[in-house]
Amino acid sequence: IMSQLFLGGKASSGKLNSWVEPSFGDLFGSSGLNSLPLAKAPLSGGNKSRAQPSGVDVGGKKPRKRKGALQAAKPVFPPRRQDSQEPQDEPWVQVYAPQLQAELAVHKKKVEEVEKWLRVHLDLNHGGAVLLLTGPSGCGKTATVHVLARDLGCQIQEWSNPVTTSEYRTDDSFRQTFDPDSRFNSFHWTSQTGAFQEFLLRANKYDRLPMRGDGQAQDRKLILVEDFPNQFYRQPGCLHDTLRRFARTGRRPLVFVVSDSLSGDSSSRLLFPKEVQEELGIRTISSPSHGASWYATLSASCEMTRCCRAVVVVFSDPEKAVLEQLCAGSSGDIRSAINSLQFSSFAEHSLEKGAWASKKGKSAASAARVPARPKGGNRSTRSAEVLDDSPAIGGKDTSLFLFRALGKILYCKREAYEGCEVPKLPSHLSVHQRDRMIVDPEVITHKQTCRSHMSGEFFSLYLHQNYPDFFSDMDDVARASEYLSDADFLTAEWSSRPTMSEYGSSVATRGLIYSNSARAQATSQSHVGFKPLHKPHWLHINKTYRENYLAAQSLFISFCLTPVSLMTELVPYLAQLSNPMRNQAQIAFIQDVGHLSLRRFPGRLKLEALGDKEPGGLDLDGESDDAGTQTTGQGTRTLPSSSQEPGADFPSSQPQPTTADALLDEEDILIEEYDSD
Amino acid sequence: MQAFLKGSTQSVKPQRDKAAASTSGEKKQKPVPWVEKYRPKCVNEVAFQEEVVAVLKKSLEGADLPNLLFYGPPGTGKTSTILAAARELYGPELYRQRVLELNASDERGIQVIREKVKNFAQLTVAGTRPDGKACPPFKIIILDEADSMTNPAQAALRRTMEKESRTTRFCLICNYISRIIEPLTSRCSKFRFKPLANEVQQERLLEICEKESLKYTKEGIDALVKVSEGDLRKAITLLQSAARLSAEKEVTESIVTETAAVVPPKVIENLLQTCYKGTFEKLEIAVKNIIDEGYAATQVLSQLHDIIIEERLSDKQKSAITEKMAVVDKCLVDGADEYLQLLGLCAVIMQQATQSN
Amino acid sequence: MSLWVDKYRPTSLAKLDYHKDQANQLRNLVQCGDFPHLLVYGPSGAGKKTRIMCVLRELYGAGVEKLRIEHQSVTAPSKKKIEINTIASNYHLEVNPGDAGNSDRVVIQELIKTVAQSQQIQSSTQREFKVVLLTEVDRLTKDAQHALRRTMEKYMATCRLVLCCNSTSKVIAPIRSRCLAVRVPLPSVEEVCSVLTGVCRKEGLLLPPELAKQIAEKSGRNLRRALLMCEACRVQQYPFSADQDIPETDWEVYLRETANAIVSQQSPQRLMEVRTRLYELLTHCIPPEIIIKGLVTELLGNCDGHLKAEVAQMAAYYEHRLQLGSKAIYHLEAFVAKFMAIYKKFMEDGLDNFMF
Repeated sequence: IMSQLFLGGKASSGKLNSWVEPSFGDLFGSSGLNSLPLAKAPLSGGNKSRAQPSGVDVGGKKPRKRKGALQAAKPVFPPRRQDSQEPQDEPWVQVYAPQLQAELAVHKKKVEEVEKWLRVHLDLNHGGAVLLLTGPSGCGKTATVHVLARDLGCQIQEWSNPVTTSEYRTDDSFRQTFDPDSRFNSFHWTSQTGAFQEFLLRANKYDRLPMRGDGQAQDRKLILVEDFPNQFYRQPGCLHDTLRRFARTGRRPLVFVVSDSLSGDSSSRLLFPKEVQEELGIRTISSPSHGASWYATLSASCEMTRCCRAVVVVFSDPEKAVLEQLCAGSSGDIRSAINSLQFSSFAEHSLEKGAWASKKGKSAASAARVPARPKGGNRSTRSAEVLDDSPAIGGKDTSLFLFRALGKILYCKREAYEGCEVPKLPSHLSVHQRDRMIVDPEVITHKQTCRSHMSGEFFSLYLHQNYPDFFSDMDDVARASEYLSDADFLTAEWSSRPTMSEYGSSVATRGLIYSNSARAQATSQSHVGFKPLHKPHWLHINKTYRENYLAAQSLFISFCLTPVSLMTELVPYLAQLSNPMRNQAQIAFIQDVGHLSLRRFPGRLKLEALGDKEPGGLDLDGESDDAGTQTTGQGTRTLPSSSQEPGADFPSSQPQPTTADALLDEEDILIEEYDSD
Repeated sequence: MQAFLKGSTQSVKPQRDKAAASTSGEKKQKPVPWVEKYRPKCVNEVAFQEEVVAVLKKSLEGADLPNLLFYGPPGTGKTSTILAAARELYGPELYRQRVLELNASDERGIQVIREKVKNFAQLTVAGTRPDGKACPPFKIIILDEADSMTNPAQAALRRTMEKESRTTRFCLICNYISRIIEPLTSRCSKFRFKPLANEVQQERLLEICEKESLKYTKEGIDALVKVSEGDLRKAITLLQSAARLSAEKEVTESIVTETAAVVPPKVIENLLQTCYKGTFEKLEIAVKNIIDEGYAATQVLSQLHDIIIEERLSDKQKSAITEKMAVVDKCLVDGADEYLQLLGLCAVIMQQATQSN
Repeated sequence: MSLWVDKYRPTSLAKLDYHKDQANQLRNLVQCGDFPHLLVYGPSGAGKKTRIMCVLRELYGAGVEKLRIEHQSVTAPSKKKIEINTIASNYHLEVNPGDAGNSDRVVIQELIKTVAQSQQIQSSTQREFKVVLLTEVDRLTKDAQHALRRTMEKYMATCRLVLCCNSTSKVIAPIRSRCLAVRVPLPSVEEVCSVLTGVCRKEGLLLPPELAKQIAEKSGRNLRRALLMCEACRVQQYPFSADQDIPETDWEVYLRETANAIVSQQSPQRLMEVRTRLYELLTHCIPPEIIIKGLVTELLGNCDGHLKAEVAQMAAYYEHRLQLGSKAIYHLEAFVAKFMAIYKKFMEDGLDNFMF
């Protein structure tokens, strides 16, 4: 895709030019579009060990960052050489980007949805339609748009934030060549918004100028915005005003691509609050994440194998296990996975030339990314670590993943004391007598924290999700739940949280182990049998709670009510009144939140099985986003126009999972879920 | 900082001037809080705090003034005393130059102490007033609510205090002396302000009623005295509020309890009786009623506490109940639900009370 | 067509339906010209906001009813922009500072400053001050409350505060002492009935007194809820019948069923099911403290004397933790588990006694 992405970027730079010299720019743009997919990245300084890390890092962050740089740094016509003298100079993400719909690792329903929308809005000239694509990073949102645009034969005009590096401006020749760009460059961020407005409105205005030799295809354009001027994050109002103007005057479909994140105030919510979506008729399509386990087997592997095939030609075949680890480590972020893959295979080969130092430098570089971009950065670091360790796999502790860590706590294996060293409790306390634990819970939590960057609190969430299955006595459960409550209480004060969280997780783990009186003695531990483990719901629930809470307040602000009476009195009763004074968004919200259907209950929350190879913690966000699409009926929530019947989310044919029995069917249900969506 | 200074000079002091002006009756009547209006104007007017008054009087007669630390419950006249003394010392003109009043709840970090206080303290002053009268050759810095100052700020203060002792006297005012660091307390002469005796309070209130030509009932004033618990400022504020609400009518007991946000004793009594005699169902209803009536749980708690201490229960029962009260109080401060907390407390009282029978 | 709650909301002190003495006192207060800061408190649905708006109208005339929703943005010292919705007329400004979360201190200070410094538009209203109405003051952080007390004094000349909250327990003493406290109790059952009947008469409907009484009782004297219930009854069936079912909200029914599920079986599996139900309630934005209160009320009905006291203690204990902790579900679930344990024991003991 990269060539496309990249050309998209260029096309937009072409567009920028075209405002000044329309015919020239368009010529360029079209030629760019038709050019061969394997364009060579111009940044290649030649020297591998320098180009490589930058490729990984930049790719790992986001290709568009690079585009920004390219746009500014490159001569107008890049050397579009077909042969790749050193293919690894270019991130594989670009080289092996999907070219066809079939190659997209996005659920085909979603692709179809986007395609349908594009078809409708590309041909009709009814003013500025806006599409908002959301999903976790690296799930293929941008790729989808590019592939579809290609299939539909339309051109993409892409906005990218102008870079404000001053060293470029000192270059006179550059300034001459890039008049429009350098004009942007010399502006501060405040005028970035201005530039953005101009971009949107101009892109509209001029695109219908008759172009020489353009023909039909040229007439179809869409505007892609992936990067938002920073100003909009501070004052979303600006963006909304711009959009309102666009909606009035725009003729071209406008596509926004926004990455979700776990942190409650996701940017899509900030930038596109519900009432604005409603007002402007913005269509939202959320790509599901691939965090779910099924993805790892289906899409990722197909994506992976595709990459591998290509890789195999040039290099040796990477170990199968390595691939699996990559998939797991990236938890659905294809971009990150491919980057890691490239990194790893590069390391295997070129580093044999004794360039260990540079490798270290690289891991340091990617580690340095962590603070800059926690999610993507973490992942690549992690996978890099995994790869570094890969020869050592099979060693004793390296593979203590979440699954086993949880198992160790929940099954709480004990061993009998030997001989007479048994420290006995006095008889009135004998109920508290426990045999010795085989593992130390602190060791487990500590390793967990180190290996997968999962805090003790997350680990406790996992424990909380799963512990009742391992208990049979009610008193024990009560005690265990009290310990969990204690643990949360300990970490309540944010100022002391860093210190207390260790104690908190210690209380949680030890409390759980201790309270399971059925497993107090080594001898009584015979058989529990295998119990499937699940991922915690809480994060998702909490997120939904906060989102609904905010949505309610913004939708019903005119009632001047406190949030509590709003949610417990007004909305539920509005659901029972047929009061016509509501707008679409309010109705949708009332339908969704005000009603609490009693029949729907077992189907709402799907248990998501936790595999033994999954690293856990890192894909929490992916997982919760995923759950978001499953459980809340995203369509109903954000999209009044396509709101479904409440019952439609869960067809009656679908098995109603009643705890344990249904767990085996989990995989099927999940997939069906998407189909019915 | 600057804003604060401006704020205090603009809003606080003019008001005081106005207070003086309006009592002399030369300007158009502008509503002034009675607390300001009836603030003592000279040291002699300060009620009930003989000890400190004696010291200040000496200083007025020409003796040197030590650094002062006033502490005691709110509304006992700490701020009024020092303000009155300063006014007498300097007279209205010099007052503004010679007195720096750092008010409560302001940014009073270490920076303020270092710069503002230092700058002010460094200026030396003469020993005469413009009108020729003698006045002490030092300035006064009043630090109100010093117990809310951070410890570093207090530490910074102690050095300043020593260095500037030639030209400046400090007056620290606080509610809790335990929150002032030891080095500071040792540098000041400490004066404890006692809660005002009921008779003294009553006398003052009646005086004000007369001046404002208010109608009142005896019970109303008694209730005021009782409710304010030795806090004269509270008593006067309540009196004014009650007067506003009742307009032409007289200030009665019920209106006083209402404005003071006190739960009527009858309600508390009923609740307690339910605890002793009733069933848990009745208790639930009683607690629900209290909450529905809008009474604040903290208020109910403190009034219950006063009664329980006097009740005819064994020491063991009382200690069990008061221990729970402490827990409930903490929970309420943390924001726990009032209904559940009160219900929990009443359940304990009920348990304890029924155990003895 | 607006809701009855809004449509028939009294707009002047004279038209208030209950606590008429208090209404008179408030009028005295307005007329004496020396208007203090107010602290209005009382349970939800007692009519605090209505009363405040009536006072404002008494102060400024009908102009206060021309409301507009404004988005204000306040810049914190850390350069962070905070967006907040306010409702304002020419004379007053209403803010729910709780919306600003931890930045509430800055928001309050800045907003009051802006209001206090801007001139009153018409001097003909003979009021020298504007009013800032802060709702949910009990949700303010302590930091913000302390800042408020200084702000209150500082801008006393041009600005009065009306603070509105459910309980004064969470308002710090210095603020309480600076305000005139106005307690608004819930209307009695009879008062609710008369309001309901009055509203129905204005709607041209005939409300049987029995039904009115039922609604009033079921609403827990919460007038807003009562009116909403009454309107829902109207949608459900008209003409009214005296014994008609009063529609409950879905979440209340759901909560009751959850309580039944807890009582009917006590096992780890059931706990998991209950957890799912709790999650469901949470996704519908029912605050955890409401959930625990609802559960207690339902569960207490199933216990006898001694057990009740214990359950009440537990509820108080876990609700408190819920307020402090960050993951409500831990505490909700701990409460449920604990209840299950003692209830199970209680039932088994009862069974044993029965056997012998």
